[in-house]
Amino acid sequence: MTRTGPNRLVSLMVDNLIWLFVISAFIAFSLLSDRFLSPYNLGNILLRSAAFGMLVLSQAYTFITGNFDLSVESSLGLTAMFAALMLVTSEAGGWGWQLNPILVIVLMLVLGGAIGLFNGVLITKVGVNNLLVTIAMLFVLRGATYGISPGTSISFFPKEFTWLGGGTLARVVTDNGNFVLSVAGIFVILAFLVGHIHTRYTQFGRNMYAVGADADAARAAGINVDRVVIIVYIIAGVCAAFAGLLQAGRLNAATPTMGANLIFAVHGAAIIGGMSIYGGRGNIIGAFGGVLLWSILDTGLNIMGVSPFWIDVSRGLLLLFAVLLDALRVRYQRNVQLRMSLEDTTIGLADKAHGDG
Amino acid sequence: MGRKDEILLDMRGISKSYPGVQALAEADFSVRRGEIHGVVGKNGAGKSTLMGVLMGIRQADSGSIAIDGSALRHASPQTMLDAGISYVPQHINLLNTLTVAENILVGNLPKNRFGLVDWKAVNDDSAARLKRLGLKLDVRQPVEGLSVAERTMLAIAKALFNKARLIILDEPTAALSRVDIDLLFSFVRAQREQGVAFIYISHHLEEVFEICDRVTVMRDGRIVGTREISEIDVPDLIHMMVGGGVQEYQRETTAGTETVFEAKSLSRRGAYEQINFALRRGEVVGLSGLQGSGVDELAQALFGLERLGVGEVLVDGGVFDPDSPRDAFDGGVAYLPQDRHRFGLIQLRPVRENVTYSVLDRLVSRLGVLMRKPEQQITETYIDKLGIVTPGAEQRTMLLSGGNQQKVVFAKLAATQPKVLILHEPTQGVDVQAKVDIFNIINDLASQGVALLVISSEVRELIGLCDRILVMYQGRVTDEFTRAADNMKPEDILLAIEGGSGYAKA
Amino acid sequence: MQRLDRHHLLEFLSRHFIWVVLIATVLVFGLTIDGYLRISNITNILITGSVLGVMVIGQALCLMARKLDLSAEGTVSLVAVTAAWLMLPYRETDLAQAGGLGIELDPLIVIPLILLLGTVIGFVNGFMIMKLNMNFFIVTLAMQLVLRGLALAISSGAIMPGTPAAFNWLGGGRVAGIPVSVIATIGLYAVFGFVMSRMQFGRKVYAVGGNEDAARASGFSPARTVILVYMVSGFLAALAGWMLLGRLEASVPNLGVGITLNVVAAAVIGGVSLKGGEGSIIGAFAGVLFLAMVNNALNLMNVDPLWVNAVRGLIILVALVIDAQKSRYRGRAGPAEPKVTTGAEPNQKPALS
Repeated sequence: MTRTGPNRLVSLMVDNLIWLFVISAFIAFSLLSDRFLSPYNLGNILLRSAAFGMLVLSQAYTFITGNFDLSVESSLGLTAMFAALMLVTSEAGGWGWQLNPILVIVLMLVLGGAIGLFNGVLITKVGVNNLLVTIAMLFVLRGATYGISPGTSISFFPKEFTWLGGGTLARVVTDNGNFVLSVAGIFVILAFLVGHIHTRYTQFGRNMYAVGADADAARAAGINVDRVVIIVYIIAGVCAAFAGLLQAGRLNAATPTMGANLIFAVHGAAIIGGMSIYGGRGNIIGAFGGVLLWSILDTGLNIMGVSPFWIDVSRGLLLLFAVLLDALRVRYQRNVQLRMSLEDTTIGLADKAHGDG
Repeated sequence: MGRKDEILLDMRGISKSYPGVQALAEADFSVRRGEIHGVVGKNGAGKSTLMGVLMGIRQADSGSIAIDGSALRHASPQTMLDAGISYVPQHINLLNTLTVAENILVGNLPKNRFGLVDWKAVNDDSAARLKRLGLKLDVRQPVEGLSVAERTMLAIAKALFNKARLIILDEPTAALSRVDIDLLFSFVRAQREQGVAFIYISHHLEEVFEICDRVTVMRDGRIVGTREISEIDVPDLIHMMVGGGVQEYQRETTAGTETVFEAKSLSRRGAYEQINFALRRGEVVGLSGLQGSGVDELAQALFGLERLGVGEVLVDGGVFDPDSPRDAFDGGVAYLPQDRHRFGLIQLRPVRENVTYSVLDRLVSRLGVLMRKPEQQITETYIDKLGIVTPGAEQRTMLLSGGNQQKVVFAKLAATQPKVLILHEPTQGVDVQAKVDIFNIINDLASQGVALLVISSEVRELIGLCDRILVMYQGRVTDEFTRAADNMKPEDILLAIEGGSGYAKA
Repeated sequence: MQRLDRHHLLEFLSRHFIWVVLIATVLVFGLTIDGYLRISNITNILITGSVLGVMVIGQALCLMARKLDLSAEGTVSLVAVTAAWLMLPYRETDLAQAGGLGIELDPLIVIPLILLLGTVIGFVNGFMIMKLNMNFFIVTLAMQLVLRGLALAISSGAIMPGTPAAFNWLGGGRVAGIPVSVIATIGLYAVFGFVMSRMQFGRKVYAVGGNEDAARASGFSPARTVILVYMVSGFLAALAGWMLLGRLEASVPNLGVGITLNVVAAAVIGGVSLKGGEGSIIGAFAGVLFLAMVNNALNLMNVDPLWVNAVRGLIILVALVIDAQKSRYRGRAGPAEPKVTTGAEPNQKPALS
């Protein structure tokens, strides 16, 4: 067991790389700009990426089982538009039903779950490739969003509906500005916490990991793999619907383009948070680190007056760096193992070289 | 657990045939409680079919299976598992990214009073279970960090936790160092003391003698006999494995006098050392050795797939030091890989493309355009010459039979017109007719002056084909048998492969 | 024997599935929609299909090599913005519009520059994937973020209108009444169709995609082949960017956004497998035609433009479901040898003596 000692240390560091990134980014921005640590800004970091965070949570779920769902960004848009149409009067562009906001929230969550169910069934029971299904669904759902929309944005929702996305829990007045404790920020933290408990401390959550680690071995252990994957897609759909609720609530509006083109950044956050598209690795807390990192970069660069367009560049470069580190770790571990196995041998000592090809 | 020495498993009169092949004929096989029972035999002797029937993966045509005296009516994988029969494959299938503890308790993790997984209990429970088996593993470690021996022991432990009474170990030591083998063996012995029975399948006879209580020998789909290990020695065992039959195929020598290939003191750390041998034009030389003897590594290194190490190789007098298969082809050496699915063929592509991959350079015009005519010519020539049975040159190779796929690989190599051709288990997984065809191909190539190095564990085939047979053991060429000296006896060669000149003298 | 014939028929149909669909589509639309088969409408179909078509070639090559290039649309945006930036005169950026760098380079210099830029991006992708062993999905995904971000940063997210006529020729020009972009796209399909079926490079791409280990053992260098594939993909994405910019005569923010997903869908519908080693350029072309025709028909049928995307997505989805059944069928009709999953001596071998 001593053999794996150094590897374990390296693994531990690489597995928690995300927190190194988060802390360094936090410190760096604090040093670079005195406004970064202002109460207002700190309160804002989570609020601004609440919806984004829910999408990352959805992808963290699918990643654990070795799947992904590109369509969640469109689910966000569709569920938000769907809710908006049920809420407002026909003069304001809606269907004029003016349903009870709580009922609307339930309905939009059901819609999200139904979309996930559809994805999951196509992937597990019909056998369509998960990438292609969710690409197609990305189009279908976005198209449907445009289709049901009046072509413009819909705004001004009841308070009950916007409370989760735009509400404030507490406001602390300081000399340096106000610290706003937003409902959305707390909600995202809670959601990730629930996700963490669910994936870490329930039988179902552990079955998800087993499916992602090796579907055949999981099947042999009596786990119903298809059922796990379908449920995970349903959860991802519900998360996307929550994202739609948060986004619509924060903006107090729903537009047909809401959520568009977010998916690559979402995947980036989950991956830099330690999740693997091949499944069975990473954890929800790490994915939350990914959300934080993206959010800190976002607000930090913003405060420093860097054009927001550089944010994606920095995200992409960081992601590449993280993948590079991972590739180097794999190579390092392989070399260590090879060297140790060669040290055991007495064959071919005339050959001094240790490396092998 | 019942009394020791009782019969646990009793298989009677098991027969199984496939179209054209009698894979098992009237096999009787029994295992006692608390014994380690070796099953040996050459490849194709029927071991895997017998085990397949025992695991419920294959249905026997006739015969009966009884466990603990009660006959099993229906043999499916699930009923066999329920009856306490478990299989541990050579390549262990575990949840690699998860911890040892979670692998042990997967699907049934202990919960606390809130219904949540109690990780302390998971770790303690799994650690306690392992401790009862005397297995020392850090249960918090991910399985991917374990050594192969540790994974094997964990797989055995998992089987035991699932109430296994009979565990089939399939070549468990193939990838293990001596230290790890000792570790594994002491673990297996400890379980035997608890009344667990093992079936131990291995080509390493030395290990069979080390760990087994009894051994059953199979040959040509039949059980030759079962012996107490104390009543038999290695030469006897080999004699039983080989049988008394004579080989059907006998090739006339085509060896010339001119040396085309020469290896001089080749050594590579951890693989082989002081390899010296030469091949003459038109000579067919056999090379045999167990897994880990350095045979595989040597073959791959000669084809540029791995590092060659120190020493020198000369082909036609020129230094040969390939960095890639391309270099090897250019240097006049071609290699038929053992795993043709992984290294030999692009299954989705048609026969024509697979045949000409190795010679594309010669088929392109100056602008890099492939010339159709010569390509078709080459393909048709080889389809014709090697008797590849295919509806046409455009058939996807994955739709051909095993023997014909192998011939496609042959065609690809022959097209490069190599001076030296290395064949790695060329007859593995092909039917009898294709086997004869392949021998004829080997003969044709040799008579055209190609020097062939045939790596095979089928000793009888080697004797029929080769002018000389080299045997490697623990990284060295330890023995040489030649037709000229008339000492190519299957028993002697097998003994040498098992590392055994020592046994012969003893 | 009868089963065998049925097998061959199904194999034939599944191989040429897209053409059956295409012919059916032409018939249905041709008969039901007025003016669908008019020259002007066909030209229209081809023009809208040209940018997609150029990109599909690059993506098809990547898929054939069992890879994926998610960064292609980022390359489109970046080269378009870069080209506009280098060619346009300087002006103060206001809310909607931005000017160029002010060096006003000649299009004849800019064109080779952006094509080179695309190729270099492809090289970097390929190098990271094959030489540094980084995962292709994540590499190209991250690259996509970087490229799109750079494009937005250079343009400040604003429109840069007024690209010179010489530059716009590829995207907007006509020769003898035929759009240059259509001629160029068809020409590219002819060239790459030839390259993939008749040249050494094509052969290697299929081999590497079909089985990387066997390709190496056949004397190819998978790394070199895959890096080249990504360079071609980058080059073609740059060409598509040039074409798109020329057609719009202005660099707009979010140029090419979402096109990668269309491109992958077109290639897969055209029979290029995600599992590598299969498919043809001509099939991919059919996939492009199919998508372009559907788009066009949806326009002509006066489908509410807001619903067009949804209908198109549904059609893609149906095609994929059918495609999944196809590969399931083929999986069953696979190798004749029984596959044993126990790992115990997988091959049934008769004894010789």
